[in-house]
Amino acid sequence: MEEDFKQPQRQSSIGVLLMFVTTLQQWGRALWPVALVYVFKIDELNKGYLYIGIAFFLIVIGIVAYLKYLNFTFYLDDENDEFVINEGILNKTKTIIQLNKIQQVNINQSLLQRVIGVYELDVDTAGSNKKEGSIKAISHFLALGLKARLMENEQVDSYTESSEVESDEVDAEARPFMSISFLSLLKVGVTSNYVKGLGLIVAFVATVFENSKNFISQYDFDDEKIDAYLDKSRIIQSVAIITFLILSSILIINLVRVVFRYFDYKIARQNGSLLLSFGLLSTKSTIIKPEKVQIVTVTRNFFQKKMNILELKIKQATSGEKEDRKSVIEIPGCNESESVEILKLLFLKAPEKGMMLKPNFRKLVFSIFLSIILPLTGFFAFAKFIQPMFMDYVYVVPIYVVFVGIIVYFGFRNNRLYVNDDFIIKQSGAWDVDNKIIEPGKIQAITTSQLFWHKSADIGSITIHTAGGNISFQLGDYSKIKQYVNLWLYEMETSNSNWM
Amino acid sequence: MENFTNEIIDTTQLPRFEEVEFSVLHPNYWKVTLLNAFFFFLIFAIGLGLLLYFNRGLVVFLVDISVIYSVLLITAVLLSRIAFKKKGFAFRTHDVLYRYGIIATNTIVIPYNRVQHVALHEGFVSRFFGLAKIEVFTAGGSSSDIQIPGIEMKQAENIKQLLMGKIQKKL
Repeated sequence: MEEDFKQPQRQSSIGVLLMFVTTLQQWGRALWPVALVYVFKIDELNKGYLYIGIAFFLIVIGIVAYLKYLNFTFYLDDENDEFVINEGILNKTKTIIQLNKIQQVNINQSLLQRVIGVYELDVDTAGSNKKEGSIKAISHFLALGLKARLMENEQVDSYTESSEVESDEVDAEARPFMSISFLSLLKVGVTSNYVKGLGLIVAFVATVFENSKNFISQYDFDDEKIDAYLDKSRIIQSVAIITFLILSSILIINLVRVVFRYFDYKIARQNGSLLLSFGLLSTKSTIIKPEKVQIVTVTRNFFQKKMNILELKIKQATSGEKEDRKSVIEIPGCNESESVEILKLLFLKAPEKGMMLKPNFRKLVFSIFLSIILPLTGFFAFAKFIQPMFMDYVYVVPIYVVFVGIIVYFGFRNNRLYVNDDFIIKQSGAWDVDNKIIEPGKIQAITTSQLFWHKSADIGSITIHTAGGNISFQLGDYSKIKQYVNLWLYEMETSNSNWM
Repeated sequence: MENFTNEIIDTTQLPRFEEVEFSVLHPNYWKVTLLNAFFFFLIFAIGLGLLLYFNRGLVVFLVDISVIYSVLLITAVLLSRIAFKKKGFAFRTHDVLYRYGIIATNTIVIPYNRVQHVALHEGFVSRFFGLAKIEVFTAGGSSSDIQIPGIEMKQAENIKQLLMGKIQKKL
């Protein structure tokens, strides 16, 4: 017996029960504060009313569950090769998925579904995280039949994939064409992630300090005496020592982290894919398929430039559930020529920076406003009206202004968009300078945006959406941006570029 | 292969997305927005009323509360009016455009060959006016999906058909 799924059909009738439980869960989650109030007042309440209330609540949920069940239908539209799901009681949604866009159909069973003997069928298309279509209660027989129908168009693809896997196994021990030396890892450890390290240390010191203070106060030490002691004697010396300690521990933590994580980093080439393996305690390995690569970020700071190392971060689009979606793969510490080599493998040619777009000076003004003027106003207002004690720390202000000013300025100076025929490169960052590289063919959609008071100045922003995340560039020459958008749209629409 | 040519593209001659005439949303959609706002503020007002009823101490703030309430109401209506006026959509041969935004004018363009799937959504209030919302999904995540509200049901059905046809053809 073959189901054809052409007629809109409901889920298994036992599915009402499932709907009931899920609705109960949802409402329960929304209403638990109310329930809590009643639990505390339970003695004051008239028990009769309480039971009536609960019964009424359950009946309402039952009706809602039944209506949900009635309104949920799905069918296959053979004429248009579509899978259609209708759902919703008051707000109705009709989801239409083209069969050849379906990447995966999964049949699952949760505990509750197992108890009542139904299965869940999830339909998944490329890209986004969420399930595009989900049928919560369907018999195993129907689920298998529907899955077979939904995946009919896929058969060719899955066949080629399986043959690929076989050949993978043949030369699984591919010779690595590149490995990252211990020295490079040391360099990376010394030069990267200062902010992360600093955060870790601040958190650590703060906890230790807090705990020790508690400990000391238990033993009746005089807090003020200790503070005074710290204040008067050798304050400069201790500050210097603390700074030194913090800096060196940042370095050591980073070093250990990087070495542990990326020890023995090897990159091998295999049937056009890249095979990475790394790790000291447990060896991780990943595969990069060039056609699935969406965004490659090349990161480098001043020290790393001097030492000729850089970091690569690769974002892939994945369709499988088992792999992490939009997973980021890091390649730390390769030198310039090696990175060109890798980029060539990923993009078929080395990316070059083309026409440069600069942001308008207003971007600088705006960031100064946001990160200097606003906090300072807050500080002075607070010190003036609420806590005059804060004025004692006014000497921090110039340090803050200079430090943040430098960061903001370099951030502005490094903010660039480079465009040529094959690549779009967004450069950004004050200390760690990122270069995000994408190919125009990988674009999914483009958003342009302009504030109304920027119309006469002809500046505006652009966000490029890919399956691996967005790239945006703010307050650039809007006419030029629009021209590029037209060009990219033309290129995307005249070719069927394979974006994954 | 012999017919293969590779001319230089004159970027100034390309069709311009910024010059496209946008279709505005159906006038009834404004009524839908107003009704939705009305329901929201009605519930809000009932909540406030109950609060005042059970908490008599707050009655002294009655004037302040009503002033804040009306200011919120007026701003909400004004902003939705602007948002309604600015929203527009256009279907070209190869892509769909949607314009929206209150202070900024955002235009999002999705080529048909990047569309993953389509959904039609009928809200409770919209259904009385025969309006639907079209949702177009890409692989780029929620920031690159578009939702065009205020389209007549029949037209929405046609647009869905058009989109599905375009996706299928693959050029």
